[in-house]
Amino acid sequence: MEEIISIKNVVKRFPVGDGFFTALQDINLEFKKGEFAGLVGPSGSGKTTLLNIIGSLDTPTEGEAIVIGKDISKLSHQQSADLRNHNVGFIFQEYHLLPVYTVYENVEFALLLQNIGAAERKKAVMEALDWVGLTHKKDSKPDKLSGGESQRVAVARAIVKRPAILLADEPSANLDAENAHNIMKVMKKLNEELDTTFIFSTHDEKVMQYLDRIVHLKDGRIEKDEMMKAKYGVHGAH
Amino acid sequence: MIKFLFKGIWRDSTRSKFPIIIVAIGVVFTVTITALLTGVFSDMIDMNARFSTGHVKVSTLGYSENASQNPLDMALLDVDSIIENLTEQFPGMEWVPRINFGGLMDLSDENGETRGQGTATGQAYDLLSKDSKEVDRLNLEGALREGSLPTKSGEALVSQKFAEKAKLKIGDEITFFGSTMYGSMSFQNFTVSGLISFGNPALDRSGFIIDITDARQMLDMQDGATELLGYFEDNKYDDKQANVIKSGFNKTATDSTNEFSSVMLTLKDQNDLRSLISFADNMQQIMIGVFVLAMSIVLWNVGLLGGLRRYKEFGVRLALGESKGAIFRKLLIEACLIGLIGSIVGTLLALAIVYPLQEYGFDISGLLPETAMMIPSVYRAIITPSTFYLGFIPGILAMVLGQALSGIGIYKRETSKLFKELEV
Repeated sequence: MEEIISIKNVVKRFPVGDGFFTALQDINLEFKKGEFAGLVGPSGSGKTTLLNIIGSLDTPTEGEAIVIGKDISKLSHQQSADLRNHNVGFIFQEYHLLPVYTVYENVEFALLLQNIGAAERKKAVMEALDWVGLTHKKDSKPDKLSGGESQRVAVARAIVKRPAILLADEPSANLDAENAHNIMKVMKKLNEELDTTFIFSTHDEKVMQYLDRIVHLKDGRIEKDEMMKAKYGVHGAH
Repeated sequence: MIKFLFKGIWRDSTRSKFPIIIVAIGVVFTVTITALLTGVFSDMIDMNARFSTGHVKVSTLGYSENASQNPLDMALLDVDSIIENLTEQFPGMEWVPRINFGGLMDLSDENGETRGQGTATGQAYDLLSKDSKEVDRLNLEGALREGSLPTKSGEALVSQKFAEKAKLKIGDEITFFGSTMYGSMSFQNFTVSGLISFGNPALDRSGFIIDITDARQMLDMQDGATELLGYFEDNKYDDKQANVIKSGFNKTATDSTNEFSSVMLTLKDQNDLRSLISFADNMQQIMIGVFVLAMSIVLWNVGLLGGLRRYKEFGVRLALGESKGAIFRKLLIEACLIGLIGSIVGTLLALAIVYPLQEYGFDISGLLPETAMMIPSVYRAIITPSTFYLGFIPGILAMVLGQALSGIGIYKRETSKLFKELEV
């Protein structure tokens, strides 16, 4: 399987007072195309920091983070933005849909940033809404949607540009059990159909049960990296 | 993307309504005051040109230097020949002779005895020639309150205000006492044919208007005039052209050592009009500057509040891959759109205010009963081509400036904190 993310000896320190707080310590990880993986750990374990680095929102203090062949540390602000624009999708726990725009327009926005033509945009948006089962809500405003529907719109917005990597930060945090399962099923289906690499940051058991791989983080270090499904030919820690 | 942004502005009234109102108010003020200033100053220039300065004026050097004293001994002579030369040298211009004079007016009772006297400021225009445009130029028909315009030699127009004070009626005889251009005493009887009021205190106080032929005879200045006024063919003052004509004339005609040599002045050289017009221009620029500054400060704060409200939106957009520069540029495009809408609304409202001001104006004669300035008594705004676009300058500029200042915060945002910021 093609390697899409390579994290080598990554250290991330944040200045605190006169000293530093080490959020990530000697992280070595690889993600292959099409993985459905999660970063799991308690608060302060470093999972969001790692997600930031993979999403080119932050850079490592030491080490090397290669995402789709690009060294995150060497990217300019514009190159980082371009990487996110074309290759990385984000899903937030709070959905963060743009309130004045319809469901259709919220999903379309991601494509507008890529200057894609109107006809192609329309086709892609309708396809994305179809994937998440919301074509009938395309003209609704976000305030008319339930939490589950809002998160599905957020998934459609993230997936519409067909990113190679989709990063989801606690996607089920604001959903009830039923909606959490529904959204995970949608994402699992997309992972299988589109071969998009999904990386979750979570401590929700409901999410974890869908993951093929779980990377346990504790105090900024990898505590355990386990394959959950036979998909990769391994079932268990490695 | 513009359509997308426009939809956002249109639907999000908190993002657009208040800024549009602010911009519209600023534009209304800017356009209305500018149109009013332009109207007032245009009227003032026009009035000065018609009654006093012409677009250019020729007189002797000596007369020009002491014009306020009406020194008749410094009058131009051989005027017909001067006009002929001027017409040849500057084709397309119209030249008219005028005589300004002063003296004493004697009013008699039914027995021919003096019942009153008063000082009189007199103007002599070409009223009786067939092809003269002076009656129209001075709007004498419009200024006539009673009686008729002079139709023959020996008739005079008297200001209505003076007539009321002196209890003069149409048909009364008045005697003018003065001195000729050679210093001899001069007196002549005139019959009051009409009473006039120009609506200008300086003209109406003791106005006395007679035909220029009568004045020449009375003042012993055959073929003379105190001034020759030149008017452009389209009757619009063109400062550049006026200066070209002035330079051309003065180069050959003016001799600074000879007070009887001729000199030409442009409209702006007279009656402090140059400083008045520059003052008007400066006022206009200062006003636009003040409105841009004031509106920018208000819109900056509006932008800051809007920026706080849209903080999460910008965060999501950064995460989705929009660069900080792109977000900032789109904020400026939004500002242009809002500024444009506000400017259109403001300009339309301003036109609704300016139009009646142009048609009817407002009378300020009560405020300036004794002014000696040649200013119109009714202030009118004027709608010019600039009225339609002038407001867009402060409208769009202030909005963009305000948004640019408030949008700087986008650059201060750290993308590494986006997830944290967007968690709650």
